[in-house]
Amino acid sequence: MSTRPLVAARPETIAEVTFDATLEERIVDLLRRYPTRRAAILPVLWLCQERYGWISPGVIRAVAQRLGESPAFVEGVVSFYTMYYTRPPARYVLQVCTTLSCAYCGGKELVEHLKGRLGISFGEKTPDGEFQLIGVQCLGACGGAPVVQINDDYFEQLDIKRLDGLLDELTGRR
Amino acid sequence: MPKLTIDGRTVEVAAGTNLIEAARAAGIEIPFFCYHPYLTVVGQCRICMVEIQGQPRLAVACATPAAEGMVVKSETSERAREAREAVMEFLLANHPLDCPVCDQAGECLLQDHSMEEQRATFTTHMTETRRTFPGYESRLIGPHVIQNQNRCIHCSRCIRFTQEISETSALTYKSRSNSTFIDTFDGKPFEDPMSGCAADVCPVGALTVRGFRFRKRAWKLRSTPSICPGCSIGCNIFIEHHERVVYRFSPRENPGVNATWLCDYGRFLAESLNEQAYLHPQRRVSGQLARATWGEVFPALSTELKAARSLRVVASANLSNEELYLARELFGRHLKGEIVVPVFPGEPRRMKNGKREWLTSTDAHPNSHGARRLGMATVDGEGLVRFLRGAAGTTVILDPSAHPSLASEEALQALGRGPLVAFARAKHPVADLAGWLLPTPSLASNEGTFVSSTGSVQRFAPAFAPPGTVHRTATGAMSPTCPTIASPWGPPGEARPLWVVLSSLAREMGVATLDLSSPADIFALMARTEESFAGVDWEELGVQREQRSYRERQHVG
Repeated sequence: MSTRPLVAARPETIAEVTFDATLEERIVDLLRRYPTRRAAILPVLWLCQERYGWISPGVIRAVAQRLGESPAFVEGVVSFYTMYYTRPPARYVLQVCTTLSCAYCGGKELVEHLKGRLGISFGEKTPDGEFQLIGVQCLGACGGAPVVQINDDYFEQLDIKRLDGLLDELTGRR
Repeated sequence: MPKLTIDGRTVEVAAGTNLIEAARAAGIEIPFFCYHPYLTVVGQCRICMVEIQGQPRLAVACATPAAEGMVVKSETSERAREAREAVMEFLLANHPLDCPVCDQAGECLLQDHSMEEQRATFTTHMTETRRTFPGYESRLIGPHVIQNQNRCIHCSRCIRFTQEISETSALTYKSRSNSTFIDTFDGKPFEDPMSGCAADVCPVGALTVRGFRFRKRAWKLRSTPSICPGCSIGCNIFIEHHERVVYRFSPRENPGVNATWLCDYGRFLAESLNEQAYLHPQRRVSGQLARATWGEVFPALSTELKAARSLRVVASANLSNEELYLARELFGRHLKGEIVVPVFPGEPRRMKNGKREWLTSTDAHPNSHGARRLGMATVDGEGLVRFLRGAAGTTVILDPSAHPSLASEEALQALGRGPLVAFARAKHPVADLAGWLLPTPSLASNEGTFVSSTGSVQRFAPAFAPPGTVHRTATGAMSPTCPTIASPWGPPGEARPLWVVLSSLAREMGVATLDLSSPADIFALMARTEESFAGVDWEELGVQREQRSYRERQHVG
């Protein structure tokens, strides 16, 4: 399994953010592909989330400054989308599809099992910061229902046994 | 100049005018919530739907420019009416019906529209409970503004205001869909030099001005057109008052000066107008101030002034042109006194006009430009003290708040050397030295003109007779910034506007040309004799339009 853990920067380390040369270079590269700086907000935020693991107020301020927007506006954008993490995420974020196809093919049972095994419900993190459970709408992979997305990877046609295997593997890595 | 027909009425409007404004010109009100004449059009509330002949779908009037030959149906269109009813149903699905305890009631667009257009048979399809924002019902979003997110109808006027007018971009929508709410970056305080305007533009009670909340019901207030006394920009305001108490200033539309905006500093000067520390004319008899009558004041004072060895007059850039003119003529020309106008730079202020240009203030007085136009000598704080230290003689202070250095030790020491006549309203140390202490009322009880920094002569109207008995009342207790407050009960007070006193003195001294009975007469004399005011007509000044409905005034101007 090639899923890599998310590494979230500690809040105090990104209270004030200055983009380093590598990040700045990628931002410049991005800006070339958009007609206005405002249009590049989403991809620049993605870059930041990739770098810092999540979008803190400090990151928002830095992005706003770089793109010539107000911090309030950028924060509005961040809060509109559910895929930007505004709090440090767990190392493994499990996004379980709760829409029709998956629900029919055993998704409901998967959800119940996950909640039971991890002892958390949707939107929560395990106390050790290892797993986070998020209920999502259709992940667009109905052919492989039921689907769970772990960080950036899809795991399809899951059943409880396979899912447990995945979790065991991820837990064992520690 | 397209000519179009709205609900059967034909009207010709300037090219680019939208249908809401065109309908207004035709005397038809199209309802709106998110539209504001000085903000960009977003067309997101959908209440201004109208039917346009030849177009299959309804159109939003705010975002549709008038075109030649257009035939628009608003009130006469059943489809438009149905669409608006549906929009109202959506809005009211989540709007708390707490008008009886909402401070916006009486000046709320949503309430107005419900009252005007909803039918008694209105029903809702909603079966769920109302959406609420726990913790956001009465939240201090900034130092002057309180937010109740439950009442918000998501019109985005406040957001656009901070983006386009105050340029702080401090407010934003957060989250999305049904959970969308208004917030600042990272929940920081909403610091904005014009934060009160965000509450003004809010069509409902979601943002309200903290200082005014629950002090007076909006429909009890009477509004008198006036000019903000805060700085030389001269923003047009309404003094909103009830029973001789000023409750607030609200902006009055003037595209050339303040569009429909007002800065927080000016807005919250309203409270200070209620202070009336000196109620009666007083004269110092054997070291103590004793009550006198105006009947005694004029003969005694005119004799005293005529007999004065030398006369020094401190005028003020807070006085109206009429008062400055009378003072210049009476004290300067007839009594051969020396007269100066102290000018204090104060904090820098700025305001955005209807063309979205910033106007900046050069000083802290509403009429320093008027004083200069009348050719009066202006001095700074040091110059003022030097002036007061001049040759011994009688000093007249027309307004102790003319300059902060009048309260300085050097100034008071200089004033203590000779006879002093002081006109005053708010408590000031010069009163302790004055031989004559004559009460003047606030701006709210005066009438006249100021010259703004843009050079326009602007008129302000009297709101009420000077307050009489003044004490701390139940109302006063709610106004911690003001030590004393006018009582609505009892007879009017004896404070007299300076122009009244000066023209009475002129009569007493036999200067018939200055014995005038109204600011209009004084202004007419000025217009005849002063080159800088030549050709200006009192009647045409400031366009003192009759005030119309609250909605008209607050949201469109």
